Amino acid sequence: MKSQQEVLRVSVETERELKLLRIKRILRREVGAWGFLLPHFFFFILFIAIPLIYGLTMSFYNWTLIGETRYVGLENYSRVWSDSRFWMAVKNTVIFAIISIPLVMGVALAYALLLSKKWYGRLWLMTAFVAPTFFSSVGVLTSWRWILGSHRAGLMNYYLTRLGILKEPISWFATSTRAWACIIGVTVWWIVGFSILLYIGALQRIPPEQYEAARIDGAGRWAQFWYITLPWMRNVLFFDVIRQVLLAFGLFDQVYFFTGGGPAGRTRTMVYYLYMVGFERQQLGRAAAISWYMFMIIFGFALINLFVLLKTVRAGAEG
Amino acid sequence: MTLTKRKILNLILSIVLWVFAAVWFVPIFWMFTTSLKQSTLATSEYPPQWIPKNPTLDNYRMIFAPASGISVLQGIKNSLLVAGASTFLGLVVAIPAAYALSRLRFKGRNAILWMYIAILAFPGIIFLIPQYFIIHRLGLMDTFWALILPGLGGTFGVFLLRQYMLGIPRELEDAAWIDGCSRLRFLLTIVIPYIKPAIFVLALMSFLGSWNSFLWPLLVLTSPNKYTLPIALVRFSAGWGDPYRGIGTLMAGAFVSVAPTILLFLIFHKYLLQGIYIGTVGKE
Repeated sequence: MKSQQEVLRVSVETERELKLLRIKRILRREVGAWGFLLPHFFFFILFIAIPLIYGLTMSFYNWTLIGETRYVGLENYSRVWSDSRFWMAVKNTVIFAIISIPLVMGVALAYALLLSKKWYGRLWLMTAFVAPTFFSSVGVLTSWRWILGSHRAGLMNYYLTRLGILKEPISWFATSTRAWACIIGVTVWWIVGFSILLYIGALQRIPPEQYEAARIDGAGRWAQFWYITLPWMRNVLFFDVIRQVLLAFGLFDQVYFFTGGGPAGRTRTMVYYLYMVGFERQQLGRAAAISWYMFMIIFGFALINLFVLLKTVRAGAEG
Repeated sequence: MTLTKRKILNLILSIVLWVFAAVWFVPIFWMFTTSLKQSTLATSEYPPQWIPKNPTLDNYRMIFAPASGISVLQGIKNSLLVAGASTFLGLVVAIPAAYALSRLRFKGRNAILWMYIAILAFPGIIFLIPQYFIIHRLGLMDTFWALILPGLGGTFGVFLLRQYMLGIPRELEDAAWIDGCSRLRFLLTIVIPYIKPAIFVLALMSFLGSWNSFLWPLLVLTSPNKYTLPIALVRFSAGWGDPYRGIGTLMAGAFVSVAPTILLFLIFHKYLLQGIYIGTVGKE
C-alpha cells in the first residue's frame, strides 16, 4: 500500500521533472537563438528602428542641435512644399534618374555580354570596367574634375579640340546641360561595374543547351537575346532596377565635387538640398521633413523593391 | 586550320578590347601620371604629357611627411582603422544573426526577418538626420565610434549571409546534432567554413564601403587628426583659391586611396563574381 503510493508519487514527480526539463529545453532553445540574434538586433534597434521613429517625430518640430526644440506641427512640411528650390531639386533628381538608370543598365548589359566570352587577358578587361565601382568618390571625382578642367591642357578639352569636335577649350560645368552631361557620364563610368558583376553572374547561369536548342531551331542572335538571355536575367534586372533607383535618388558626391549645385541651383539634387538645409543651416527638423518627402517619392519604387526581395527570398528558400 | 584562324581572330579582338579598356581606365592612369609631376608643371604644360619629363616622388613625400596642416598619412591610418573595425565588428554581429534567422527556430523569427528585409527597401537618406542626432545625443560626435556603430545595425549583410546559409544541407546539421555538437560549435566549425565566399564578399564590400564613405564622415568629424582619407583629401584642397594649385599632391592622395582597392579587386575578383550574385539574387 505504502510502497504503491510512493511509486505513484515518484512517477508524478518524474513527470513534473520531465515537464520542467522540457520547458527548460524550449526556453534554452529560444533564449539561445535570441542570444545569436541579440548583438545585431541591439544595433538594429538603436541605429535603424529608433532613427526611423525619431525622424518622423523630428519632422514635426523646429529641431536644432543647440537651440530649443519647439513643436510646429506641419510647418516644416508646408515650408518645404512651398520652396521652389525643393521642387527644382526634385525635378533635377528625377530627370537624372530617368536618364542615368537605363544608361547604366544598358552599358552594363553590353559589357557583361562582352566579358562573359573568353578573351585573352580577361582579368585586365574586368579590372578596367568593373574595379572603378569600388573606388572612393574622392579618388574618382578629383581625377575626373582634373580631366574636365577648363584650361586648354585639360585632358578632355585637349583631345576634343585635337579631334576637331570642339573649336576651343570650354568650361565643362558652366551650363546646366553640360554639367549634367558630365555628372551622368562620370556616374556611368563609376558605378557600371557592380551591375556588370551581377549580370555576368546571371549570364553564367543560363544553361548552354538553351542556346544550342535555339540555334537548331534557326534562331538568330537577336532572337536568342530576346527569348533566352533576357528572360533568364529577369530577376537580376528587377533587383538592379531597384538598386539603381535608390542610388540615383541618393546622388550627392558628384554634385558636391563638380558643381556645388550650380549653376544657379540647376544641378542641385534632393540629397544636396537636404544637406544644405540640415547641415549648412542646421535645421534638422526641416531636413527630416525633406527626407520624408523623399521617402514618399521613392515609395512607389520601394514597394517594387520589396516585391523583388520577396521573390528573391522565396527563390533562396526553395533553392 | 579553322581553329588557329579562330584563335588569331580572338587575339585581334582581344587587343582591340585591351585598348578600349585602357581608354576607359584613363582617369586612373592620368591620376598616377599627374601624381609624378610638380604641381606647377602639371598645370602649365601644353600639350599634356603622358610621360612626365622630370618625374618626381615629391608629391608622395608631401603626403607621407606633411609640412603642415592636414595629414593625408594620418587620414590613411584612420581610414584603415575605421574600415577594419567596421568590417570585423560587422561580421561578428551579422554572422550569428544570419545563423539565427536562417537555421534556428524561435518565437518572433519571421516577424524579425520581414522587418529586416523591409528595411532594405528604405532609402538610406531617411536615417541620415536622426542618426546624426542620435550620435550627437550619445556624445559620439567627432569619434571613430560615430563611423563604426551605425553601420552595425544594417541588415544587408545579414540578408546576404542568410541567403548563403539557406544552402547548407539539413543532413549536415542533423549529423552534427546527433554527435552532440552545440549550436555555437556548429556555427564556428561548419557554417562559417561553408559560407566563406559570402564572408569574403561581405567583408570586402563593407571594408570598401567604409574606406570610400564620404557624406557621413564629412558630417560627424570635425577635428583634423580624426579625418578619414576622403575627408583629409577634400579638406586638404579646400582652402585653395585655384583648385589645381596642388594638383600633383592631390592626385598622389587620390591614387593612394584607389591603389589598395585595385589590389583587393585583383585578389578577390573571383569571389566577387560568385558572391554578389548569390548573395543578392539567390542561388538559382
